[in-house]
Amino acid sequence: MKESRLMLIQYATAVLALALVAAHLIMQGVILPYDTAISFNNILSIYQNWIYAGFLEALLVVVLVHGFNGLRIILHEWRQTAPWSRWVDLGTVAAVAVAVGYGTRTVILAVFGGVSG
Amino acid sequence: MSEFKLAVQRFDPLTDAKPRLAEYTVPMREGMTVLDALLYARDYLDHSIALRFSCRQASCGSCGMKINGRPRLACYTQVEELGGEKVVAQPLDNFAIVKDLVTDLESFFTKHKQLMPYVLRSDAQELDHPTAEYLMKPEELKKVLQFTYCIKCGLCTSACPTVAMDVKFPGPQAMAQAYRYLMDERDEGGEKRLEALDTAHGVWRCHFAGSCSFVCPKGVDPALGIQLLRRHVLSGKAPRKQGEGAKVWSAPAGSTK
Repeated sequence: MKESRLMLIQYATAVLALALVAAHLIMQGVILPYDTAISFNNILSIYQNWIYAGFLEALLVVVLVHGFNGLRIILHEWRQTAPWSRWVDLGTVAAVAVAVGYGTRTVILAVFGGVSG
Repeated sequence: MSEFKLAVQRFDPLTDAKPRLAEYTVPMREGMTVLDALLYARDYLDHSIALRFSCRQASCGSCGMKINGRPRLACYTQVEELGGEKVVAQPLDNFAIVKDLVTDLESFFTKHKQLMPYVLRSDAQELDHPTAEYLMKPEELKKVLQFTYCIKCGLCTSACPTVAMDVKFPGPQAMAQAYRYLMDERDEGGEKRLEALDTAHGVWRCHFAGSCSFVCPKGVDPALGIQLLRRHVLSGKAPRKQGEGAKVWSAPAGSTK
């Protein structure tokens, strides 16, 4: 993929992450009761809501893509040999895939009742 | 007559393990530039000081060096404007040192050439043997005028934090010139330039620190040029394609009209 496409993704995920994280914090800190916001049962009940679970999945993907792509950029600046660049690109794709897969697994388990109090 | 201390970084990579600062006492005179002071030191105090200079009027860009910690042209910097009683002259950062204040500019010019700093046309015959003098329209010239003032002194490249990290990064000078030719209405090589810039070490690696624009002795704003380039790279569209370059020209070559 061209670097300009990757940077477009980087900028788009940055804007999306801002909006999603802001919405998440508002939900947790303002709309829902703050004192129980990170209690196990409360989180589990949030995941039972399909819309909120989808929202959290989107947050997961956006933040991971933005974070790992940012790390890729830093690593490209750190060293410039061809093998290094190739491994950084491959490593980034693999890391995003593994992290998104693991996070999605958690969301799916929570949504479909694989996790219980 | 008042005097001031001139500290010059001395280093010969063939014989020295590390750089050192040598101090010279130079008599002050009104309007004295750092280049004048360095030439005084070289002519009367130490003949072995190595420095590069030529025009003495900020036109050639040869005497770029770090003066009191900031990249400047030695011929364009008066000792008085620096204040204090000591002037420290060091070679430009981000360049290999040949000797003392002389840096190796080869990679700088190589990167400059890689981005094709010249008008590219599809009509090669006309380009090599022009039948007329091709001129830009004044309103088109205004878009790139500031970038044509670049004297390739290397100060912007020396100040760039990305160049310090990424040896493949073309640097602010080369990219500002890429923008200058991309926007030239006579040019048809935009697609080639955008392709050369759209890499993992290309135009996207600029952090917009702005230090390139801050140190430019000619008032060029390379950081602006890079940001404007990004817009074209992101859209993937060159301002003109092959065969779309301006075909207007003035009087035939050699004519006085």
